[in-house]
Amino acid sequence: MKTINFHLKASLLVAAALLAGRGASADDRARVSFNRDIRPIFSDTCFRCHGPDKNARQANLRLDLREEAMRKTRSGVTPIVPGKPEESEIIARVFSTNQYEVMPPPAAHKDLTARQKELIRQWVAEGAQYEGHWAYQPLKRPPVPEPGAAHPVDAFVRARLAREGLAPSPGADRRTLIRRVTLDLTGLPPAPTEVEAFVADRAPDAYEKLVDRLLASPGYAEKQAMHWLDAVRYADTAGFHGDNALPAWPYRDYVLRAFRDNQPFDQFTREQLAGDLLPGATDAQRVASAYNRLNRSSNEGGIQPREYLAKYAADRVRTTSAVWLGATMGCAECHDHKFDPFLAKDFYSMKAFFADIKETGLVPDRGRNSFVPKLALPSAEQERRLGELTQALDEAERELEARAEARGARRAEWEKQVLEWHRSGRLDWRFQRPVVARAARGARLTIYNDRALVVTQYRGGSLVTERITGGGLVVADGPNPENETYTVSFRPGAGSWAALGLEVVQDESLPGDRFARGADRFVLTEAEAELREGGRARKLAFALATTDGFGEQIENAAAAAIDGDARTGWGVGYGDGRNVFLALRFAQKLETRAGSTITVRLRQDSALRKATIGRFRLALSSAEYAWPDHAARTDKPLRGLPADVLKALESPPEERTEEQQKALLAHFKWMTPEFQPLVARVARLQAERDRLEAGIPRVVVTQSTEPAETRVLARGNFLDESGEVVEPAIPVVFGRVGAPERRASRLDLADWIVSPDNPLTARVFVNRAWRQFFGTGLSKVLDDLGSQGEWPTHLELLDWLAAEFVRPEWRSDGTHEWDVKHLVRTIVTSETYQQSSLGDARLNERDPDNRLLARQSRFRVDAEVVRDLALAVSGLLVEQFGGPSVKPYQPEGYLGALNFPKRDYSAGRGADLYRRGLYTHWQRTFLHPSLMTFDAPSREECTVNRVNSNTPLQALVLLNDPIYVEAARVFAQNILREGGPTLEARIGWAFARALGRPPGPEERRVLADLYRASLDQFRRDPVGAARLLGVGDAPRPKDVPPADLAAMTTLARAIFNLHETITRN
Amino acid sequence: MNQDRLDIRPDIRLDLSRRAFLGRGFAGLGAVALPALFGRDLFAAPDDRWRGVVNPTHHPAKAKRVIFLYQAGGPSHLETFDHKPKLAAMHGKPMPESFTKGQQIAQLQGKELICFGPQFGFKQAGQAGQEVCTLFPEIAGITDEVCVIRSMWGEQINHDPAHTLMNTGSIITGRPSMGSWLLYGLGAEAEDLPGFVVFMSSGRGGQNQPIAMRQWSAGFLPSKFQGVKLNSVGDPVLYIQNPPGVGAETQRGSIEAVNRLNRLQYDAVKDPEILTRVAQYELAFKMQTSVPDLTDMSREPKHVLEMYGASPGDGSFASNCLLARRLAERGVRFIQLYHRDWDHHSGIPQNLPLKAQEVDRPTAALIKDLKQRGMLDETLVIWGGEFGRTPMSQGSNGRDHHIKGFSYMLAGGGIKGGTSYGATDDLGYAAVEHPVSVHDLHATMLHLLGINHLRLAVKFQGIDARLTNVSGEVVKAILA
Repeated sequence: MKTINFHLKASLLVAAALLAGRGASADDRARVSFNRDIRPIFSDTCFRCHGPDKNARQANLRLDLREEAMRKTRSGVTPIVPGKPEESEIIARVFSTNQYEVMPPPAAHKDLTARQKELIRQWVAEGAQYEGHWAYQPLKRPPVPEPGAAHPVDAFVRARLAREGLAPSPGADRRTLIRRVTLDLTGLPPAPTEVEAFVADRAPDAYEKLVDRLLASPGYAEKQAMHWLDAVRYADTAGFHGDNALPAWPYRDYVLRAFRDNQPFDQFTREQLAGDLLPGATDAQRVASAYNRLNRSSNEGGIQPREYLAKYAADRVRTTSAVWLGATMGCAECHDHKFDPFLAKDFYSMKAFFADIKETGLVPDRGRNSFVPKLALPSAEQERRLGELTQALDEAERELEARAEARGARRAEWEKQVLEWHRSGRLDWRFQRPVVARAARGARLTIYNDRALVVTQYRGGSLVTERITGGGLVVADGPNPENETYTVSFRPGAGSWAALGLEVVQDESLPGDRFARGADRFVLTEAEAELREGGRARKLAFALATTDGFGEQIENAAAAAIDGDARTGWGVGYGDGRNVFLALRFAQKLETRAGSTITVRLRQDSALRKATIGRFRLALSSAEYAWPDHAARTDKPLRGLPADVLKALESPPEERTEEQQKALLAHFKWMTPEFQPLVARVARLQAERDRLEAGIPRVVVTQSTEPAETRVLARGNFLDESGEVVEPAIPVVFGRVGAPERRASRLDLADWIVSPDNPLTARVFVNRAWRQFFGTGLSKVLDDLGSQGEWPTHLELLDWLAAEFVRPEWRSDGTHEWDVKHLVRTIVTSETYQQSSLGDARLNERDPDNRLLARQSRFRVDAEVVRDLALAVSGLLVEQFGGPSVKPYQPEGYLGALNFPKRDYSAGRGADLYRRGLYTHWQRTFLHPSLMTFDAPSREECTVNRVNSNTPLQALVLLNDPIYVEAARVFAQNILREGGPTLEARIGWAFARALGRPPGPEERRVLADLYRASLDQFRRDPVGAARLLGVGDAPRPKDVPPADLAAMTTLARAIFNLHETITRN
Repeated sequence: MNQDRLDIRPDIRLDLSRRAFLGRGFAGLGAVALPALFGRDLFAAPDDRWRGVVNPTHHPAKAKRVIFLYQAGGPSHLETFDHKPKLAAMHGKPMPESFTKGQQIAQLQGKELICFGPQFGFKQAGQAGQEVCTLFPEIAGITDEVCVIRSMWGEQINHDPAHTLMNTGSIITGRPSMGSWLLYGLGAEAEDLPGFVVFMSSGRGGQNQPIAMRQWSAGFLPSKFQGVKLNSVGDPVLYIQNPPGVGAETQRGSIEAVNRLNRLQYDAVKDPEILTRVAQYELAFKMQTSVPDLTDMSREPKHVLEMYGASPGDGSFASNCLLARRLAERGVRFIQLYHRDWDHHSGIPQNLPLKAQEVDRPTAALIKDLKQRGMLDETLVIWGGEFGRTPMSQGSNGRDHHIKGFSYMLAGGGIKGGTSYGATDDLGYAAVEHPVSVHDLHATMLHLLGINHLRLAVKFQGIDARLTNVSGEVVKAILA
């Protein structure tokens, strides 16, 4: 306990030191400022060994506290004597030329520059005044430098410019300005009509009206959501191991609506951290609490739950502290923070806030029980229909139950008979030897009857490769069309048959959990069969489709394979290495003769592309009640009885377990002829209900439960249970939350985060927002406003904006507290924002990174916006607000390194292909390559500051990714249709659409030359033209000569590839 | 280039012109102008390829590049390089609790722990008499070139985090991978290829654990330092092919037009980022030729293909080894070959020989090939996975994940051949003699490339982030 007390005392001292004192005034340039000049040096070079972390402290000296630094050390020297650099040991040490004395020691590779040393000397000479760290000072609204200034933002910026001897740039021209503000606020380019209207509108409030229009558009919410989703690491997959789909998109829609409706940021904060704890929590508030569940999670076998629970919780502390506090608390997982006043205990106390979240270490990531707890969000119609189906299903099941009960007396006899049937082989499936197998749309089917082939399958967790004889196996390869129909004929010989079996055979060469040729599963939309005898064909109807349910997706029940509906189908997308088997009972038994042929058609017309079966066998059974058993190997006979039923039958009745009895009863129902209409009805209702259920949006949510014990883990080691037990608490430096008599909750944490007692949240949010509009934060390290962060270029401006954000006073009509739209409006209505981005040579030399804001910045738009721009300009963009994430085109095989299940990507269809980038299915371990190439983060961790790179891979994406080729083609169609009659007019039209300005004469010439050369080439190469125009799903016009359209597509591609097109300036 | 998250130390930054830093996408892709293709002064870009922040190197470098043969899934050290006769003697007996008490285990949690003897014999090989499992006769033939570390240990017992630790030195996502660090530190000699290339192959007899792209991520470094995955089947680099129907002439004409227009824009606004974009388009066009050229092995002589056991286009580990040599010749800095499915929770007797067959010959061939071309001295070859496997059995004949002791093999690039280093205890459980951590391995690798691991650091979230985090010692004993 001694240690702990020391910790507490030390940190309170730090707290006092940090919270006391004033922020440096930007005016007193001559004097050295501790915060501006000295803290960055000390923090980077001294605190590591002479700072808050007592375990790392050397020579028992700390320099982060003035009292400590002025105390004589054991060796009799005094580190700092205020006003007397010559008596201060630190001055002697930093200026020392002796390698054993100089500080920092050479081994640290932190040599001070002459200027830095001089600053330290001057600071000591001036009295060695310490100041509290700026970001931890209570937030006060600084006075605007020039009272009565038209715009406070400009007043702050210009005061600084004046001191630097610089002047602001003139306003940007109106075309540039509308493109800039539209891209910044909505992530979309302005339409040419909007540009022209704005250019023509000379009213003094034209710009403000424009801003208001943009703020009211759905695009505004989408753009803000993009940034927020990065921060809270929102994604659509689990992130570890199999990286399977995480049901989270309703949370994304919550964020969208919050920004659209301008929800106060404090409430937005409360709902995400603790929506479930709010009194009378609404569905929306519970959806918001998905925030706590967006951490990566693992379903890898063999994980230690405690280890992963520790990982998940640490993730929450890191994310929450970065998003709201701009603090790198993650550092304190293993040790006291080296630079900021956070103790390891603070980290675990923060973690304790989240200890009530119901979760498991190993998180199932597939099937009905994946990612629980989840919240279902059915529409009123879905709810009504679900009620109907559930009732009908209950009734059917009850009736079946009652009838089975009534027949109970015959059970013993039935049991005897079934066992005897099984033993005599009467229930066996007989695999057939196909004579013909054809695919309708190009796939190649090969029959392996006696021929051998190499198969690779899982057996007990290992891949086994072996050569087997096919035994009737049909293998699909060659071209891989999106939909396919397989037609297979075989001659069963003379016999009497009651059921057709379809065994889908796994192989490691296949995605779709080794079943399908593409996608994440196969989907058999319809199975059909006919009997041909002596030239006459007769369709064979099916009465019942049964599988043992192994690996099924709930939206793909077996019954869907014979329901006559091409939109539904039987599908299997995961399992454990076994083959799956579908039993189709004929409506009527059939007799075959020696020459009879049975032809089976497997229709695979799912909307899911390439969800086609890779390998399969067909079988017949004479018994109507041969069970669709599954097998791991193709050479194992299928004996037509479930394993548990067989086991039960072989045990004396009194020794059967409850499970076995249940299985027996179920099988009795399934096998008894009189029950069949009811059994079929139950199967149909079940399938329909499952499909409906699968269509109901679900989202992970936070559910509060008995809090788990939280201990300080020494060096983050989850195995070490010797650490102190902690209660939920905010970092000691900031005080306390909640009431002493009860455990503090997530809601207490959220309340504190948005309370005036917390100096950080508003500053952190404003600083991040600033980056959206200038490319860099006022303090450029957005996720760290601590000691190692950057002293803001315009501290008073940052504080003024933060104060204005929390409580608007400037143009405050119609605003509210924590008003995000007001903040954004305040920034973009400044003249600083509206300046030209063209700096002259002198300014570029003086301030290349534009930190002084004497001009606007120029930067590439974000990854999603690169896409949105091309779609919007081409006319392909489908503007739909929210909804499930979508899958744009993606290169084949890109997910090849994924497993559990093995899968392939299946692009969406129709509108889903043309949605904004932010709706892209966010696969954490393999993010869509085009987004990734333009620096979208994987969202495995909180990201508040994307890098912005410029690489050849980006060129390859814009040149060759099919979506950009398709967008160019559709753009070309519109240029030809609407751009006027001449090439000249068309180039002007296209340029204006993409860039909001007319082309210059030289630009016209380059594009015209390109068009003509391309036209020439495509006239000579009509096949090439046809192939180019064939890219993408969007409809093609029939009335345009292909060479003209292809050449115009080339021109459109060039425009999409311009630096200016993807730059906001 | 937006540098917000990346604080280059001022002294380093001074050395770099802004453009050089903003510059190349692929680090090290030189901006070689293509006057023949594009007209005289269109790309009059200076040679501003990324030359690294460690320039000159902290000390003379032994190795210029690294080929990391990453055996993903966790190869059993007990059936590769760590001969444990005492474990064989204990086969079938309970594992002494003194070894396992309080230790972290994966799937064997709560199970009875039974010793599982090595399933294959060992032989002494080479002049130094290195012991190598008999499953690896070809590697046995080159043991005088290699150093085996038998005392590796790790911290993460599940694949995904263990890969992340092995690649980035941290389990927290967002740190640069070792290839990215090297590229950031040294740049690359390659003119028209990525400086950090990743391949992946799968084989038989294991379990294909997923591998996330985070394993070759640049983390907080600019994305130009990230690994580029080259697909050995299909398009070698994503989007490297022209759109259907677009011939070379049209593509070239389009890029030329784009760059002319970008130049006009530069003349108007003088934004240096535009020149960078111009250069990137030029490079992209060059890559469209050079990358397919590189992966086209049809002109490799038959005896070379046979030496590796490679058949072009099969995507095998053998083919990737040969591609690795071709990349090394072209000056790529870091080449990483993932070979999957070493995850033998069961079936060691049947399945391990399959993996051995897949990697034995190509690994040995690569080392021999590099040697005969005089490149082994300057190429560090590293062979190993994310962890080892338990001396205890899982099921009847498998082994579980194991982090307390496992083996790594290193060759070339300043490594003392024909040696071994460190040891596990008698049962192959824990590294007891000269334990080598993942950070030590990284420190040693960086050292051989002329980098002091303590000095290759980037400010991230307030700390000087390094590949070796806060530890790491160069394993001097294995240096030539």
